[in-house]
Amino acid sequence: MTHAQSLARRWAIAACMVWGVATAVAVNRPLERVEYALAAHEARAVARAMVDSSGRRPSPIRRLVAEGSLTRAGVELSRYLGRAVRGLEESDRVVVHRSWLKRAVSVPLKDRDEWEIVGVVALQAEPWRDLPVTLLAIAFAVLVAATLASRGVDRLAEDPAIALYSVLVGPVATLAVVMAALTALVRQRVEAAAASLPPPSALSRFDGLTLPLPSATLSALTLALIFAATAAALVVAGWAASARRHAAERRETLTAWAFLAPSALHLLVFTAGPLAFTLFISFHDWDLLRLDRPFVGFGNYAELVADPLFWRAVGNTAVYALYVPVSMGLALGAALILNQPLRGMHALRAIVFLPTVVSYVAIAIVWQWMFNADFGLLNVLLRAVHLPGVDWLGNPKTALVALMIVSAWVQLGYQMVIYLAGLQGIPAHLIEAATLDGASPWARLRHITLPLLRPVTTYLFVTGIIWSFQVFTLVYVMTEGGPVHATDVLVYRIYQNAWEFRRMGYASAMSWILFAILLALTLLQWRALNRTVDDAA
Amino acid sequence: MASVRLERIAKRFDAGGTPAVDGVSLEIADGEFTVIVGPSGCGKTTVLRMIAGLEGPTAGRIFIDGTDVTDLPPRERDIAMVFQNYALYPHLSVRENIGFGLRMRRVDPVDIARRVDRIAESLEIGVLLDRRPAQLSGGQRQRVALARAIVREPAVFLFDEPLSNLDAQVRAQTRGELVRLHRRLGTTMIYVTHDQVEAMTMAQRVAVMHKGRVEQFAPPLDVYRAPSTLFVASFLGSPTINRFAGRVLPDGTSQRFDGGVRLRVEAPLAEVATLAVRPEHLNLVAPTEGSAGEVTLVEPLGPETILHVRLTGGEQATLRLGAGTTPAVGDTVGVSVRATEALVYDARGRLMGRGVA
Ligand SMILES: Nc1ncnc2c1ncn2[C@@H]1O[C@H](COP(=O)(O)OP(=O)(O)OP(=O)(O)O)[C@@H](O)[C@H]1O
Ligand SMILES: [Mg+2]
Repeated sequence: MTHAQSLARRWAIAACMVWGVATAVAVNRPLERVEYALAAHEARAVARAMVDSSGRRPSPIRRLVAEGSLTRAGVELSRYLGRAVRGLEESDRVVVHRSWLKRAVSVPLKDRDEWEIVGVVALQAEPWRDLPVTLLAIAFAVLVAATLASRGVDRLAEDPAIALYSVLVGPVATLAVVMAALTALVRQRVEAAAASLPPPSALSRFDGLTLPLPSATLSALTLALIFAATAAALVVAGWAASARRHAAERRETLTAWAFLAPSALHLLVFTAGPLAFTLFISFHDWDLLRLDRPFVGFGNYAELVADPLFWRAVGNTAVYALYVPVSMGLALGAALILNQPLRGMHALRAIVFLPTVVSYVAIAIVWQWMFNADFGLLNVLLRAVHLPGVDWLGNPKTALVALMIVSAWVQLGYQMVIYLAGLQGIPAHLIEAATLDGASPWARLRHITLPLLRPVTTYLFVTGIIWSFQVFTLVYVMTEGGPVHATDVLVYRIYQNAWEFRRMGYASAMSWILFAILLALTLLQWRALNRTVDDAA
Repeated sequence: MASVRLERIAKRFDAGGTPAVDGVSLEIADGEFTVIVGPSGCGKTTVLRMIAGLEGPTAGRIFIDGTDVTDLPPRERDIAMVFQNYALYPHLSVRENIGFGLRMRRVDPVDIARRVDRIAESLEIGVLLDRRPAQLSGGQRQRVALARAIVREPAVFLFDEPLSNLDAQVRAQTRGELVRLHRRLGTTMIYVTHDQVEAMTMAQRVAVMHKGRVEQFAPPLDVYRAPSTLFVASFLGSPTINRFAGRVLPDGTSQRFDGGVRLRVEAPLAEVATLAVRPEHLNLVAPTEGSAGEVTLVEPLGPETILHVRLTGGEQATLRLGAGTTPAVGDTVGVSVRATEALVYDARGRLMGRGVA
């Protein structure tokens, strides 16, 4: 890259950053006001609904608040409100309290005839709760946008006029359009939510109900979307600009895409599509049996963070994954033994590999019997040598270990076959050279075989961990997450929330956390493998 | 420092099949540079691997420095081998590659570093020490493999076609370096190749192998001048030696060879015999003086010219001529044999006599 190019790139990144922060500041303020308007709207709906349906009796929401689960109440409230409530009336008096990091909206609660004020419904935002999430989302979006944009700019940089256009004019134009749209929206909302202050002394006699307010996450999302769209536009513009100058390159790119189109389309429809849809669902309170599926922003994610069962599942999954190195060690040993050119080795290899091709459900049922406390094979054997039997699947201390044993047993064959292939890929002359160099069999294993198997080991380890994070069938068939959540793993948690508790949104949020973990692991694998491949070349 | 003695060693890879090595006996003196040469598949590598201990002989014994090592594992034979593809450990740096053998023998790390540095210096690969084998050129890899063998100061060096992956120029240069190295170290070296130039230029003695057997074991020039079998005669020398089929008949008190060419020889009478003459030992004469023939191809190589002639009897003859005027394709020429250099082989291809003036 030339000096001018790198300079242009640096400037472009700086411009992107400044622009991002400016947008964040500019957009967030009116959005904040929109939120209050909307929150007031919601609070009023609560008030009206409480009066309409249950008079002064405590509602389930109220009970929830009394029990202290504010987050849960937030979700319940948004479900309760949905989109059924429309418009605001002049007589509904809305109060907006705001100070730094503290916002609340209160709405008077009136009797059935809407005549007398009998209480107040207040919505309180806890911005510090999802402030980190919001900031992180914005920072991430800016980073991604900047990286993408700088890529686009890299190509643009060769053409100063276009570079100037896209670095300055493009974002500014986008920003202008977005701001115009937002301003229109904000004005409409703020005007609709006409607010006035009640006498402070009057507040004291109200029966208060405080509910959390879904807060700034919507704006963060919008921002992220804007950043992503602009960055994408820059990349495309960069490509178009460089393509205009290199006709052959453009033709090649178009041809390549023509060939890629079928699989890209498939990927888009059946992978990227559902992925984006779960992301969408994860921002909603989504019950398959209900029509109203209110937007809750990062509510599901915030709830996840505070959900002990979720953390339990994460912990269990992590512990479960520890079977991978154990079975890999065994598999390596088996591969070293079965790699000997002796008679009968082919048959033995096939036998060890067999469990890998058997259905997991069948395996789970067979092992369930093996683990049976009274008649199970394992306990019969244990008793035969006068050891006490173990209630493998019934004891919270052993259930997870039992599952790990089954998984290791299944994976052993597969891992061994991969190791065998790896061993056969090691050139014989390297081993012979080491032999002549005076290396003992153990030294040959340690200094030659194992290092040369490193790509295989890395591959097996990372894919093993990735698979173990997706464990479901064994848990579903053998333990159903029990006893006492001892074998509750991530995917089982997702399954239960989605289909048993009908909380698709919550399950989707969990799926995205799982996805993030798996993505990180996959990237790690990529890097590790690339490194080892470089070594071997 | 060690002599190597092979006593009728044989190797059969599958029971009942043809043996890869069929009763090879060689006696290699201490400090000798021996080249084993032969066509592809004749068993050269197998012999070398048996000396190294990577392969056990089916029959026969192997002695190094008088001790029977037939049943000793490789690491107790004090032997280093340079493989055809160098067999450098891809995951270790050049430094670690060279030092590996010493490390395995638990030499003090400081001592290892010193020895590695010294060897690397002498082979001019000092700057490569921190690279991986993948980052080296073929010639550099070859040097590293050499360094790895030398650094251990073994009693015997084994080379299996170490130059075959190099381009012609580097090969010629390395050939000279290996010979100098041998002179400097004075260690016994056994060098396998199918390249006759390497065999001729490097060896103190050449063993020519054919179908698992050693056909001749002698200094290179002896092998060239007096190949003990027709196979050896044909295998060494380029262009290939001329062969004329015929028989050995009585000629007064002595004998004569009668076939595509005729001359007086000193050999037992035979109904089937072959006369072999190197291209440089055929002379161009007037058609009336020698066997007449027609020139079919002229290959001028600069300092010399190779002439292909079809004799009137139908046999082919190849002549190596010095610079000067050469006939053109289609000319009729005469070919005469320099009698003292002609070799007579019996029906089974064994040397049985020579031409006489
Ligand atoms: N491991 C083996 N199993 C079976 N047959 C073998 C084995 N190694 C070598 N052979 C056979 O033994 C014979 C001699 O092989 P060897 O490798 O010694 O030949 P070579 O003279 O080194 O040939 P080249 O010049 O091609 O390297 C060949 O016919 C070969 O097919
Ligand atoms: Mg060979």
